[in-house]
Amino acid sequence: MSVWLENAIARGQGADDWLAPKRTQALELLAKTAWPTRKTEAWRYTPLRSVERSPAKASTVAANLLPTSVADLSAIELVFVNGRFDTTQLTDDLPEGLSITLGKNLSSGQQGEALANISTIKPERHLFGLINDVLSQDVLLVSVAEGVHITQPIRISSLSSQGVESHTRVFVNLAPNSRLTVIEDTHAQGDSLTTAFVEYQIASNAYLEHYRFALQTGNNVSIGGSHFNLLDHAKMHSTLVGFGSDLTRIDTDIIHAGKFADAKLNAMYLLDGKELFDLHATVEHAMPNGTTEENVRGIVADRSRSVFNGRIHIHPDAQKTLAELNNRNLLLSDRAEINTKPELEIYADDVKCAHGATVAQIDKQALYYLQTRGVSRARAQVMLNFGFINELIDLMPNAALAEWVRPMIRERFLQMEVN
Amino acid sequence: MTEQIDKALAREYEAGFVSDVESETFEPGLNEDVIRRISVMKGEPEWMLEWRLSAFREWLEMEEPEWALVDYPKVDFQAISYYSAPKSMKDKPKSLDEVDPELLRTYEKLGIPLIEQQMLAGIAVDAVFDSVSVVTTFREKLEEAGVIFCPISEAVHKYPDLVKKYLGSVVPKKDNYYAALNCAVFTDGSFVYIPKGTRCPMELSTYFRINEQNTGQFERTLIVADEGSHVSYLEGCTAPQRDENQLHAAVVELVAMDNAEIKYSTVQNWYPGDENGKGGIYNFVTKRGICHTSAKISWTQVETGSSVTWKYPSCVLKGDNSVGEFYSVALTRGRQQADTGTKMIHLGKNTKSTIITKGISAGRSNNSYRGLVRMNPGAQGARNFTQCDSLLIGDQCGAHTFPYVESRNPSAIIEHEATTSKVSDEQMYLCRQRGLDPEKAVSMIVNGFCKEVFKELPMEFAVEAGKLLEISLEGSVG
Repeated sequence: MSVWLENAIARGQGADDWLAPKRTQALELLAKTAWPTRKTEAWRYTPLRSVERSPAKASTVAANLLPTSVADLSAIELVFVNGRFDTTQLTDDLPEGLSITLGKNLSSGQQGEALANISTIKPERHLFGLINDVLSQDVLLVSVAEGVHITQPIRISSLSSQGVESHTRVFVNLAPNSRLTVIEDTHAQGDSLTTAFVEYQIASNAYLEHYRFALQTGNNVSIGGSHFNLLDHAKMHSTLVGFGSDLTRIDTDIIHAGKFADAKLNAMYLLDGKELFDLHATVEHAMPNGTTEENVRGIVADRSRSVFNGRIHIHPDAQKTLAELNNRNLLLSDRAEINTKPELEIYADDVKCAHGATVAQIDKQALYYLQTRGVSRARAQVMLNFGFINELIDLMPNAALAEWVRPMIRERFLQMEVN
Repeated sequence: MTEQIDKALAREYEAGFVSDVESETFEPGLNEDVIRRISVMKGEPEWMLEWRLSAFREWLEMEEPEWALVDYPKVDFQAISYYSAPKSMKDKPKSLDEVDPELLRTYEKLGIPLIEQQMLAGIAVDAVFDSVSVVTTFREKLEEAGVIFCPISEAVHKYPDLVKKYLGSVVPKKDNYYAALNCAVFTDGSFVYIPKGTRCPMELSTYFRINEQNTGQFERTLIVADEGSHVSYLEGCTAPQRDENQLHAAVVELVAMDNAEIKYSTVQNWYPGDENGKGGIYNFVTKRGICHTSAKISWTQVETGSSVTWKYPSCVLKGDNSVGEFYSVALTRGRQQADTGTKMIHLGKNTKSTIITKGISAGRSNNSYRGLVRMNPGAQGARNFTQCDSLLIGDQCGAHTFPYVESRNPSAIIEHEATTSKVSDEQMYLCRQRGLDPEKAVSMIVNGFCKEVFKELPMEFAVEAGKLLEISLEGSVG
């Protein structure tokens, strides 16, 4: 066991808040969990040295951090600063049918209900999910009432100051026939360590539009997960955009717990410098007639490393499932590294499943073609990279977010060219 | 229909019988003394014994791998007898006439009449009956061409320099748990050496047969194709029915020197266990080849037997422009579990690899493809194409795909694709409309599904493989 984990466990002992039962449970599991090594399948390509060496410390000092501004987004802002929910940044004018509460402010009856749900969607196997169970200050509960369509997006920002370790936790509940858009964003300054987990319960016929941005770069550790539980006829559309850092690791779990559920996941990662980015996307089809479509694209430059693990698991009852996963990667440098592992685990026969993965460099012919048209090589490279990713940006339902992220991606490509 | 299924499912394992040959067998158990005794029985030189013992010491320190998607009662390595030889082998037979007639009858029952094969098929057969190679034929003809094809125990004496040089050079002693065990206790296997610029005049073939109860089989095969040579090697297996699980931990090493080509084909039909999965063979095999400049190694396998398969024939593409291929059909039914695939390690420039696998799961079986494609920084312009298709027959089986793709060279191109589906209703409807019964229809569809792999097999094997698949699928159609 590592010193870091021992330390985390020690800090988690003796909590007596309303989350104590969950924390105890997580501590028990942690005690049985070995610190990952190269032989641990879930961390095979992702060494945890940067966690072990992280100078980040939990902080109680108030900091004044604001979420990044996105033109025309006008979201309901849920801001965590150094692991604490900043109530001052929350509007008191919430749309009808939407409730946002900190767990500690609930009645004990409501807390009991919440306890029955929290950490049931996030699988127990996530080591840092358990650490988050133990160390997060509180759980923020977001809930949309039945049949309510919330048009204003909700943005959950986890912000960390220099050298701070923080753990944030949100549970989102979409009642039947409701609609909601949630954006998860993490921004961390140097030497910080963040874990940010959000669980989504999506009831029948509800629709979740979801975004996760992990755009902080540099010397920080950012670990987190988005976990979705889909009931009958529930739908979700998720977009993930990641840049790397010392270590960025995101686990996405999509569980088809109801029939005729539909999940779409578009993910892209653009890595430069010595960044490391690891995305583990797991889809569990537990019930029949579900559909899943996953498109994952990566561009990996300089000395960066990407890890993608895309697992589709079809349980015996999940007949008539359609599931597809596509992972395409561009490797731009001879010092960079791409590790990808699309997995299918199938226990039902009447299904159609496919996955594909490619790793290559930019098409030389396309590059040549552009150069013959007078486009400089560097510019042509940026254009082609951009085209590769832009297809997925175009699929983002929220135009304001697409317009916000596009220039950042362009900037990133220009920077890759300089290196 | 159900009647038909029940009948077919109850089909006995055709090659399941135990031939009654007196044999000298060690008491079960494994320690350094046992290894010394094996070495003495084989009359081995000191260096060979030392090699075995060092492997054994490594093995003691190692842990049994548990990452594969297979679930089986653990092997008790102390309950296995590590040596079994047909007794009549003591005064080595010089020709077929001197061979124990009971042995020959065993082969005949299996449909491998040696004499007929010698004459008709033009295949030299090095038949492994339990641990000692019984008959080696066509030796002279091969000698004329300069080809060495003999039991590896004989090669240790006759060609010590070659064996010393290459044994363990592709699969090191401590490569993995089962390989280390094999190094310590292997009793026999084949040794092949093809001299420079020689095209082996015939296809070489070894038939393995596990006969003695409670006897693990630890074959060791070493094939060295010197510069510019070519050889095609066939391996086929079938084993008698019994109730206890049997461990089979073979090691196959291939060395393809510059411009050489080795084609290694396997049809594996060991006893898969009864309908409850009881009594089948554990097949934990390490197969690996190394390709030097412009060399080519091609693995083709048809796996229908064994209760648990753990097998990843691999290629290390060390030389520039070398080529690795892996073609596989794996069929599981009943309670069979297969975790099989390949590793393609690209080290040299412009190396190419192709992986085509077809997994068919029926009954309550689980069939996994597990593969690794790695492009090292030096693999400039390397290329891989992988296609893994799975077919599910029945709603209680599983088909899984675990491909690992690792690239550290931007000029390398890797493509992987996998699909899983069942035999479609449309296909069945079309066939049945044309008067085919469901069983025939499925057999035809499956054969079509596997065609890409079958066409890579030598002709005799392709026929056998097709038949094997057809028989194996009987009763799996609902």
